[in-house]
Amino acid sequence: MKTHFKTWLLALIALTVMSGLPLSSAQAHGEKALEPFIRMRTIQWYDVQWSTQKFNVNEEVSVSGKFHVAEDWPISVPKPEASFLNISTPGPVLIRTERYLNGKPWTNSVALQPGGDYDFKVVLKGRLPGRYHIHPFFNLKDAGQVMGPGVWLEIGGEPGDFSNTIKTINGEMIDMESFGFANGVFWHLFWGALAAAWLLWWVRRPLFISRYRMLDAGLEHELITPQDKLIAKLVLVGVPVLVLVLNAVTANRYPDAIPLQAGLDQILPLPAQVNAGTVNVDTLKAEYNVSKRSMVLQVKVDNRSQGAVRIGEFASSNVHFMNADVTNVGYIPGRDDVSNNGLSLDNVAPIEPGEQRTVSIEVRDAAWESERLDGLIRDADSRVGGLLFLYDDVMGKRYISSISAAVIPKFI
Amino acid sequence: MSAQIPISTFKPYQGEKARLARAYDYLILVLALFLFIGSFHLHFALTVGDWDFWVDWKDRQWWPLVTPLIGITFPAAVQAVLWDKFRLPLGATLCVAALLIGTWVTRVFAYHYWNYFPINMVLPATMIPGALVLDTLLMLTNSLTVTSIFGGAAFALLFYPTNWPIFGMFHQAVEVANSQLTVADLFGFQYIRTGMPEYLRIIERGTLRTYGQYATPLSAFCSALLCSLMYPLWWHIGKWFASTRYLTKI
Repeated sequence: MKTHFKTWLLALIALTVMSGLPLSSAQAHGEKALEPFIRMRTIQWYDVQWSTQKFNVNEEVSVSGKFHVAEDWPISVPKPEASFLNISTPGPVLIRTERYLNGKPWTNSVALQPGGDYDFKVVLKGRLPGRYHIHPFFNLKDAGQVMGPGVWLEIGGEPGDFSNTIKTINGEMIDMESFGFANGVFWHLFWGALAAAWLLWWVRRPLFISRYRMLDAGLEHELITPQDKLIAKLVLVGVPVLVLVLNAVTANRYPDAIPLQAGLDQILPLPAQVNAGTVNVDTLKAEYNVSKRSMVLQVKVDNRSQGAVRIGEFASSNVHFMNADVTNVGYIPGRDDVSNNGLSLDNVAPIEPGEQRTVSIEVRDAAWESERLDGLIRDADSRVGGLLFLYDDVMGKRYISSISAAVIPKFI
Repeated sequence: MSAQIPISTFKPYQGEKARLARAYDYLILVLALFLFIGSFHLHFALTVGDWDFWVDWKDRQWWPLVTPLIGITFPAAVQAVLWDKFRLPLGATLCVAALLIGTWVTRVFAYHYWNYFPINMVLPATMIPGALVLDTLLMLTNSLTVTSIFGGAAFALLFYPTNWPIFGMFHQAVEVANSQLTVADLFGFQYIRTGMPEYLRIIERGTLRTYGQYATPLSAFCSALLCSLMYPLWWHIGKWFASTRYLTKI
């Protein structure tokens, strides 16, 4: 007893201590769990922006941006023949009111083309107050979820203020929050009452042991009375007739009802934004130094534009490695997904128009490890991929290349 | 039967014995209700799943095919026990009612209060009329064959018209994004489900749309045929469980 007392006392103290420890809730959507080669070489997001991150219930917020569908799509990942641009939320704390791909509104899924460029916009409306970590992301059929950059949204106000009214083709205004609810409850109660009546008809009399004994004694005829049979006949005929009548009444009430819509939207890519041919980048070699957490990319740049260009950024899997020598990049310092000094070049001189130069780019930051991108070297498909941004400071232009190469690990 | 009692010597329970037998009835009823709420609901959620969860999965083809086919399983098994051993024609109705209790509890607490979905987006379907027909037909015919063929078929054929008064209104057309959607589709678009992209819906797919655009009757009759086969299969599963091998004296 004494031993048990000590055990319980210790358990109680442990629980008390643990209950005083700070608790933190999960704040991510498992985006780092997906293999890096999928995150790097499928949907390559860029220029993603939210209209605001603080708003109230019933107010709208939009997220817009661009993405390139990598040419070097992994062979082990099914092609994006059915893709759905989604928003990761903890339930419908927001509703999606509009969604655009290349300026076209769309509601279903769409086939994306590898090598294609797209811009998107999703309009959302606050439904439940709270602070939520939200990402735009793509559901790719048979492949999984590829996350876009996440932000924290703060929704204020009262949940009761939310309203969502839409108009049917016939002009009827309906409240989506309550539409069909009372009708559904009514029919469930109606059929539930009939079921309860039938059950009570039998439950009111002695059941299991008594009936088992009577059946065992050959008194089956006493267990089912003529009145039981009459009621059963009424139910057997009446219920199907009632079902068919109610069905006909509903069919007449909604003569223009249509089946659920299941078509695939068809939206073509934009004219090339990435790998547009003005500044070509060919990746010659990629080496990842494990101890330095640095990726060295050897690329051959062919500048066919009218102005000198400089390499300003390498972005992969929503992590932005910036060249501090190029100042025209609009990212805010202090963000977790931006490495402001993460990119350096062996030759910082601008690449002149018409010049072809082989450049060694060192992309070095702890983000390779913290974002679990270094797991690439242990993957079956160990090719790195991402977007390389080149800037023409004079003309104010930006050129983007989607690059990829097999990675050679360096352990020393 | 394990212990045949001659009719001439049969004496109904009276007094304390009768009261105990009645208490036992209630005990079994309550246990059976919770057992079927839990087990049938779990079975249904894991098999019919999304077709019953979401309003935008309830299509003309798969929903009336899959739901009765899975829905007839427990009713058949429980009927085998209750009819064969007790001549109680309430197995199907009891199962379906228990399923609905479990379903409603889940929809209200898990889907609405926990995950914020409006309940009208996750209204369950009902199979009570089919269950009543199944129970009464078994009682009146006392035949596994007749109940399998006609009861199984009725269970499937009644499913869609039973639920149309609940879900027909969700099939009104709405103009959204330069295209037409049903109100049900719009629920799926507006109320965000992170793990449920539109393409994941198994709806309106297959080669059943043979006669013009009338897909539902074909699905329903296909389901009727399958239910007629599923019913005796699960009847025998129920019968296998309903052993009175250890009951020597009662």
